[in-house]
Amino acid sequence: MISTLVACVLTSSLAALLVVAERYLANYGSCRIDVNAAAKVIEVQGGDSLLMALRAGGIFIPSACGGRGTCAYCKVKVLSGLGPVGPTEQPMLSGDEIASDIRISCQCKVRNDLAVEIPRTLLEVKAYTGVVRQIRDLTRDIKELRIRLTDPPTIDFVPGQYVQLEVPAYGDSRESMFRAYSLSSTPSDEGWIELIIRLVPGGICTTWLFTVLAEGQKVTFTGPFGSFHLSQENTEMIWIAGGSGMAPFWSMIRQMKQTGNARPCTYFFGAVERRDTFFLDELRTMERQLEWFTFIPALSGEADDDWTGERGLITEVVDRHVSEGSAAEAYLCGGPGMIDAAIKILRTKGFTDDRIYFDKFE
Amino acid sequence: MRQSPQESRIMELMAPGVLCREGFLGHDRRPLVGILDADRLAVAALGLSHEELAGLLQEVLSAAMDALGRTVEAGRGLTAVYREAMGRIPCPFGHGGMFPKGQVELSDAISGMNILFTPLSVHLIGAHGFYQGLGARYRIEPADIAEILKPGRTRL
Repeated sequence: MISTLVACVLTSSLAALLVVAERYLANYGSCRIDVNAAAKVIEVQGGDSLLMALRAGGIFIPSACGGRGTCAYCKVKVLSGLGPVGPTEQPMLSGDEIASDIRISCQCKVRNDLAVEIPRTLLEVKAYTGVVRQIRDLTRDIKELRIRLTDPPTIDFVPGQYVQLEVPAYGDSRESMFRAYSLSSTPSDEGWIELIIRLVPGGICTTWLFTVLAEGQKVTFTGPFGSFHLSQENTEMIWIAGGSGMAPFWSMIRQMKQTGNARPCTYFFGAVERRDTFFLDELRTMERQLEWFTFIPALSGEADDDWTGERGLITEVVDRHVSEGSAAEAYLCGGPGMIDAAIKILRTKGFTDDRIYFDKFE
Repeated sequence: MRQSPQESRIMELMAPGVLCREGFLGHDRRPLVGILDADRLAVAALGLSHEELAGLLQEVLSAAMDALGRTVEAGRGLTAVYREAMGRIPCPFGHGGMFPKGQVELSDAISGMNILFTPLSVHLIGAHGFYQGLGARYRIEPADIAEILKPGRTRL
């Protein structure tokens, strides 16, 4: 019994010593990270994770968990310079990904020169700081944040793209984290961004946003990310959203109005109860002003007698209103359940998969 | 009862502020192995298995998820609703897999009992026999699952 205990203590002490030595004593010297066949070369001090090394070099890979190896978002193609896939990466990579040299960048240490391949769009992502100027309740569990950019003072983005907001360590959380939120502002609102955020019960990040973050507070974020945006086509389109899935469409419709883009569009917006809806008056006003725009809100739960919108699940409402879509495009934003169900309906209406675009909240 | 380094690592991931704000352990001060053992005995005393209890919850979860936010009748006096939430959460036992962050509210109008659980809760029970620590937001007593979802009660 005593010898087992002694062995356990010795092993634990040795392991701890190795971690400390690795952290403070190991010197890997300067390492080069070759990005996209020398399109960019980053010199870093070895020892950091690939995610942090790239970040230090101004390349921001999407990551939600702050480098703990739990979100699996920070996948990067590593062409050379890394050893075999580690045990902390293995569960988060498919066989195809491993065969394609994809790695979980927060779990890979930079110990020598590396060559990586990163999508070009990610090379344009920047880090921003701003100050929260307004926090507005849109519903019982959805808030709108209006942020004044300070450095850099402006951001270029396309409606539909998102940013990753940094949530600093607070309360019991010991490390900062990032969460992705669609931009709901328009690019013409220069120097500002707006985000629409729904509370996740028990969530670390949205709890901070709802209970700690205050007007006047500095925030940092990276972006813009994402390929969810309107195509260059001029065909008819339908939009389907639920809850905070409103964000990209709120940006798109206002930009279309500003730029005189009169592409025919029907917007289906679903909520459970009346108190879960927002921007209804604004969108109905737009519907009256813009002959090419139709707005169809729907409630799936109890609705008052004076509710003038549709009733039923948004997928049922789409089913009732849309007859044929083989030449149209569909854009969807919201939870995976709604999106998966809506796609099934759209296929029955003739929408082809290459004309169905979605931003799924997962 | 001594914990293995792996169990200690799992408990670190279950602490508040790591994977979710409140963590998975509530005010429970028992080591992980103690929590698992106690619930294993409780389930055995019911004459059931973790897989069976997880299976009952899974049926309710699937029906509620399919209803896309509408309340479904899960049985006599039983209603369930799934509230979707943005994002996914990994299993703290660390074998991969990400689970939607939404939650099911299962209400029993007869007993007045309410059970709150998530897709991850169902996985933790079925795959690991982990019902979460006492006082945790999503702690479910095995006996409560067995009582609410007993044979003949559900309609799913």
